[in-house]
Amino acid sequence: MKPAGTAGGARLPRAVRADGLPPQALLDDTEDVSLDFGSEEELALQKARIRHPLATFFHLFFRVSAIVTYLFCDWFSNSFVACFVTILLLLSFDFWSVKNVTGRLLVGLRWWNQIDEDGKSHWVFEAKRVPTIAASTEAEARIFWLGLIICPVIWTMFFFSTLFSLKLKWLALVIAGISLQTANLYGYIHCKLGGQKTISRVTSRLFGTTDVPKSEY
Amino acid sequence: MLWLLRNVGKAVIVAEGATELVGLDPLLICHPCSFCLFALAGSCNSCEGINESVLCLFQMRDLKAVGKKFVHVMYPRKSSALLRDWDLWGPLVLCVSLALMLQGGSADSKDDGGPQFAEVFVIIWFGAVVITLNSKLLGGTISFFQSLCVLGYCVMPLTVAMLVCRLVLLAGAGTVSFIIRLIVVGAMFAWSTLASTAFLADSQPPNRKALVVYPIFLFYFVISWMILTFTPQ
Repeated sequence: MKPAGTAGGARLPRAVRADGLPPQALLDDTEDVSLDFGSEEELALQKARIRHPLATFFHLFFRVSAIVTYLFCDWFSNSFVACFVTILLLLSFDFWSVKNVTGRLLVGLRWWNQIDEDGKSHWVFEAKRVPTIAASTEAEARIFWLGLIICPVIWTMFFFSTLFSLKLKWLALVIAGISLQTANLYGYIHCKLGGQKTISRVTSRLFGTTDVPKSEY
Repeated sequence: MLWLLRNVGKAVIVAEGATELVGLDPLLICHPCSFCLFALAGSCNSCEGINESVLCLFQMRDLKAVGKKFVHVMYPRKSSALLRDWDLWGPLVLCVSLALMLQGGSADSKDDGGPQFAEVFVIIWFGAVVITLNSKLLGGTISFFQSLCVLGYCVMPLTVAMLVCRLVLLAGAGTVSFIIRLIVVGAMFAWSTLASTAFLADSQPPNRKALVVYPIFLFYFVISWMILTFTPQ
């Protein structure tokens, strides 16, 4: 069999292949094949199930340790104040890290509030459209959403158990926990489903933007 | 910030208050530093967009913003830049430190005279929320979290007063120390009220300024009262 020929598109005499395939296909094959190995790091990154191990760890770490500390605070320390402050700090770090770091790394979403020149405040929700090589995997996204949804549910259960067992000094902390985690949950759900009419209708009904004039939260 | 100027044209904002989603292409300029969450040496002046480095966030933006606001409370001037970049970290730190200092050192004892930790916490945050709702219902143009931010940061002079009171009480608890504490707390109370009024009263229509200033006055008065009547065991 004669060799395939140059890539310049020069007319070659028809080669006869042993298997009877038209030689043009063979030319196209060899012309179009580009062997790009890339770097080994990129390949490893593409194959890995979790591409941001630290972000995934910290996404779950602060939430779970806040819950664990709340449940087992009596074992750690006798002091109510120490437990309160510890759990509050864990909840705050969790809020900051989920809002600023893990959201954009694990699922490519972010939301924030900005106030423009004339003092009006706007809530902006955005999502990454173009996936890059270091974009998140399904496993990471699943971990993100599960962590985001389950923890506020657990804190709501704590709210009812605190209320009915009358341990009212913990109520402030539980309410703080619920509000911080629900804020992140709402923000990211809005990012994810953003642009749909139902979400804006529900939002405006809940916050009553039509009732209170000239005000935006 | 530069990314604001680039992206504000792309984000579509619906007038009713909800915002629509517009996908943005990642403006990757500096390395996505997903493997180092905590500050290392290095500057991130070129980090922008959704891929901006975590170092930038932790190091530059948040800490500097908090520090700048503390300085603004020390020298209250009418600056809109303070109001624009609101955050609640400063109020959280101030509230926790004030509540800790009002604790009296014995955390769980049932017979201490001072308010419990959670009560101080609730008074400060609930009071700030009520004042904010009041000013919004009176037609104020400032947003909810901005107002919370200002009220929280203006607790700083009272926290300083609490620190001074505790130091004075270490020396003794007589009449002289009471007079010193009264003067210090009174001065810091006036400072707090004036600082927060400087930021908040401007956003109100002129015939309603007194209606807005009075709850702020009451709020800081209650906190000052708690500080003044604090006696350690």
